[in-house]
Amino acid sequence: MAEPRPAILIVEDEPEIRRFLRAAFGVEGYRVVESTTGRRGSIDAGTHKPDLAIVDLALPDVDGIEVIRRIREWSPMPIIVLSARVQERSKIEALDAGANDYVTKPFGVGELLARVRAALRHAVRSPSGTSILRFGNTVVDLEKRTAVRDGEEIRLTPIEFRLLAMLAKHLGMVVTHRHLLTVVWGPTHAKDTHYLRIYMKQLRDKLEIDPVRPRHLLTETGIGYRLVLDE
Amino acid sequence: MGYSLTMNLKRHWVGYAWAIGASAACTFVGLVLYPRFDLVNVAMVYLLAVVIIALRFSRGPAIAASVLCVAAFDFVFVPPRGTFTVDDIQYLLTFAIMLAVGLIISRLVKSVRRQAAAQAALEIEAETERIRSTLLASISHDLRTPLAVMAGASSSLAESGERLSAAERQALAKSVFDQAQEMSEHVAKVLQMTRLETGAIKVDRDWASLSEIVGAVLARLGERMAAHRVIVELPDDLPLVRVDATLIEQVLGNLLENSAKHTPQGTVVRVRAQRRGEEVVVTVQDYSAGLSDRDLERVFAKFHRGSVEGAGSGMGLGLAICRAIVRLHGGQTWAERVPGGGTAFRFTLPLEEAPSAPLELASN
Repeated sequence: MAEPRPAILIVEDEPEIRRFLRAAFGVEGYRVVESTTGRRGSIDAGTHKPDLAIVDLALPDVDGIEVIRRIREWSPMPIIVLSARVQERSKIEALDAGANDYVTKPFGVGELLARVRAALRHAVRSPSGTSILRFGNTVVDLEKRTAVRDGEEIRLTPIEFRLLAMLAKHLGMVVTHRHLLTVVWGPTHAKDTHYLRIYMKQLRDKLEIDPVRPRHLLTETGIGYRLVLDE
Repeated sequence: MGYSLTMNLKRHWVGYAWAIGASAACTFVGLVLYPRFDLVNVAMVYLLAVVIIALRFSRGPAIAASVLCVAAFDFVFVPPRGTFTVDDIQYLLTFAIMLAVGLIISRLVKSVRRQAAAQAALEIEAETERIRSTLLASISHDLRTPLAVMAGASSSLAESGERLSAAERQALAKSVFDQAQEMSEHVAKVLQMTRLETGAIKVDRDWASLSEIVGAVLARLGERMAAHRVIVELPDDLPLVRVDATLIEQVLGNLLENSAKHTPQGTVVRVRAQRRGEEVVVTVQDYSAGLSDRDLERVFAKFHRGSVEGAGSGMGLGLAICRAIVRLHGGQTWAERVPGGGTAFRFTLPLEEAPSAPLELASN
């Protein structure tokens, strides 16, 4: 671990929230840069070149979504959004604008740290993501296109593989319905949410021990799906 | 603003269109009647049209209808026919009366409408006031406890943190976190109820799977359901529903929390869904002592807390929110006693023809 400590940019106007974030990230060994406004945040992202940005959606000057857009113009750095519960719609907007994940206020620090770790892992991985997925008693090899459950081979359809690969590419992070539909079925199907419902059920039936209470293929209601593997 | 203005304009144009249509229709009816009936009776047909237009629309269309009817009557029927000249002075009286009738009725209708609107506004105001006061009472009641815990625990940490053992510190910090979350849930419910009340919620329907929603809600509730055994019974061929999944997740979450709160630890809570004709019935069933008839009826009403006060917190908003959300989806909510003990909280969601996904040949 001779690597320099990862730097986190926090764009948040509430001083009390910055305070506990600073403390929590400090303890975990992250370097923290703080911006109190959206404009400042866009600039700090450029000058400090952090490894990850945490952006509050409700900023006093410019919309958090605008900050995300500006960062995305030049950087693929992971961005995690902090949003209030009433902002369901802006969560999706933020994700579509390029944010990688979100945490809903009020949140526990544990939850945020987990999201940050997943996003940082994603950033250093090869663009194709992980190719071998372990789900409890099932192993899926995305490259060889095989799936084995308790030593027995199970068959996944090409679409199921593509869907799984897309989720694996963003391992641990939420992927919006629209994003999944566009990539797996094409832009003309961006609104055919029922495709996802049907195929996610098939995937869960094949891969989850209890498909109704999935432990890996998680639903983010109204937003998308998240693939989580055993740590 | 802009919306209501265009709506008004549109309403207006509809009124004028009706006025034109009505006078044309009367002329047609008049032409049928004319060979056999007196001219006075033809005038009566026109008068009827004016009355109807005045009743249905505002003053403008009523005047338009009077003028158009008078003109059409004059031109088509009053001798000399085919001109606007009037031979007999008595027809001028007919015209005047028609116009007067139109004006009088439209004015009457307007004042009746205004009174009805004022009455409705008064009723809404009274209801809003009642909700507001109940809301305030429940907020102060249910938020005070977590606030007291948070103030006490956090001040202990701040003032004598170093003298407490690590375990004590952690327990205090954890209780601040738990209470804050509880409070956040309360506040979210109050906000949600207010938004439902004021119609500020937009139902964003899309195809959703009930089993997915159940899975998501169980994951979200996590610890809060941990003391109960939740059994999920969903048929494998349950059709997709077209709903706002976020809202339906709230409904299921509130029902599950309600059951967890009112039944002893270790008891079973069942989640079921069944297709019943053109709807799907979703049930959350617990093994509570069973509600009285009165409670069964009132349990979904706003701020109803059940007969036993104080057993669990909760502002009695959860089930009212369920009812409001289900209603927005065109479904119903009710509670019933289950033979053998327990209560079933049920709601329905209408089913729509679900589209199919493209078949894959490689599928097995």
